Amino acid sequence: MLHLLQIDLKKLTSYRTFWVICGLYFVTLAVATASGMEFLKWLARMFEDFGQEINIDRIPLYHFPDVWLNLIWFSGWFKIVLAIMVVISVTNEYSYRTLRQNIIDGMSRAEFVTSKVLTNVLLSIISVAMIFFIGLVTGLIYSPTQAYESILTDVDFFLAYFLEIFFFLSYTLMISVLIQRAGLSIIVVLLSQMIELIITVNINEDIPWLVPYFPMRSLWNLIECPYPRYAFQEIKDYLDPLSFAIVAGWTIVFNLVAYRKIKKSDI
Amino acid sequence: METVLSISNLTKHFGKIKAVSNVNLQVKAGQVFGMLGPNGSGKTTTLGMLMGVVNPTSGSFKWFGEEPTHHIRKKIGAVLEHPIFYPYLSGQKNLELNAMIKECDPANIPKVLELVELSDRKDDKYKTYSLGMKQRLAIASALLNEPTVLILDEPTNGLDPMGIAEIRELIKKIAAQGKTIILASHLLDEVQKVCTHFAVLKRGVLVHTGPVDDVGRGSETVEVTADVENLNEVLLKFAGTSTINREDGTFQVSLRDGFRSQDLNKFLFENGVIASHLVTRKKSLEKQFLEILAGA
Repeated sequence: MLHLLQIDLKKLTSYRTFWVICGLYFVTLAVATASGMEFLKWLARMFEDFGQEINIDRIPLYHFPDVWLNLIWFSGWFKIVLAIMVVISVTNEYSYRTLRQNIIDGMSRAEFVTSKVLTNVLLSIISVAMIFFIGLVTGLIYSPTQAYESILTDVDFFLAYFLEIFFFLSYTLMISVLIQRAGLSIIVVLLSQMIELIITVNINEDIPWLVPYFPMRSLWNLIECPYPRYAFQEIKDYLDPLSFAIVAGWTIVFNLVAYRKIKKSDI
Repeated sequence: METVLSISNLTKHFGKIKAVSNVNLQVKAGQVFGMLGPNGSGKTTTLGMLMGVVNPTSGSFKWFGEEPTHHIRKKIGAVLEHPIFYPYLSGQKNLELNAMIKECDPANIPKVLELVELSDRKDDKYKTYSLGMKQRLAIASALLNEPTVLILDEPTNGLDPMGIAEIRELIKKIAAQGKTIILASHLLDEVQKVCTHFAVLKRGVLVHTGPVDDVGRGSETVEVTADVENLNEVLLKFAGTSTINREDGTFQVSLRDGFRSQDLNKFLFENGVIASHLVTRKKSLEKQFLEILAGA
């Protein structure tokens, strides 16, 4: 297994595009998530100009345990950047025909897919580790409570965050394998939210029970937007097993479809 | 002799197109086996099936008497069609990656680079290589795992005459080490020069298989020029003459069985004709190939 991951990393680590995209992803992610307080200060100044006052200390953006869910939900927006990296990595294998040569050289088709999936796992783990680290540091700086129990509350959402990233990269892997062209794959990945939204809005009247089972929808249900809680609304601050199961199920389906496609086709 | 590859009833259809139909073939250890056929006759598809990239419609094949798996492919060196590498990686890095995939010792890399004379360009990116260098890197990659079987598909495609000669020398060098080589080509001259056995494919059907040495057996053709008016008449008087053709000012004399070119030379001399040009022509593979294709 490790051997297969090493093979895929060998392909990527000498590829400048890989470093540029991953660098952009991790730097923007780090800067964006760590600068929430600065954003709130800017917001407060704007309100002051309009003669109103908001007390930003009353918004516990980085307080334990709120910090976890706040950062996790916000970070989810950036996963599209990693997805584009996955599209490039997979479609390159088709356009350079290196997938064919890999098989000729003695990789099995299952091994090839596994090597790509393992890279997706690794990218997801790094994302989780980074958000955990930023959350911990910002929390320790800004949070008034440093008690263990409040630090440890809601950390199970990191499991959901890992699944969210891995789900999306698996989806991207499948789209790339099915379409095999970088440009078209990126467009499909970008538009899939909207396409699904159009479908769900149309069937919401007749079969509303089906809607939560749609893949992108299930992702929104897994990690709901936490910010309405500062407007005194209730949010789902626990991990829902059903949502988790739906997202995990789709993740398995995506990877299996990618494998089946590669298994069956002449390359 | 040990059978390296045995193919039975191998068939591949792409929709309605029958790319390969019921091919049966045996390749023994130590043979340099040429696969001949016009473009689109199914050579590459056959090799693609043997190397696991094309799924056969029906039929089967065995490598070293075993069912094919990806582990077996690691023991075979193969270049199908054109060379394929990661363009943004250097030659060295590409070979390191291939060594990882083939699970072989990366210590072989300098050796194979030396063999194909790419050592001084190994750190340049693959995309900066000339076509000849790309072909040579592909051969280096195929040799990386010290395979006992080498598959080369059109290894001299698109090369200049010097490149062709280099690759041909390389193939002979490798064959001399006792490796089994399967060489697909439409360059008949190439096959005749390096192969011991050959097979001919036509529209996916195997129409001939046999040793290259058998080609050219049978009757001889002698090319004669002499500075006499009635050479034609003299040649006709020779008992061994079967047919005479006049081509570009020389006479092509086909001899009957049992007559050799020295007999003709002697006859001419005895009749007071001294040939200024006398060459024995063996039947070329090209001629045989065209006959096989026409007959099939």
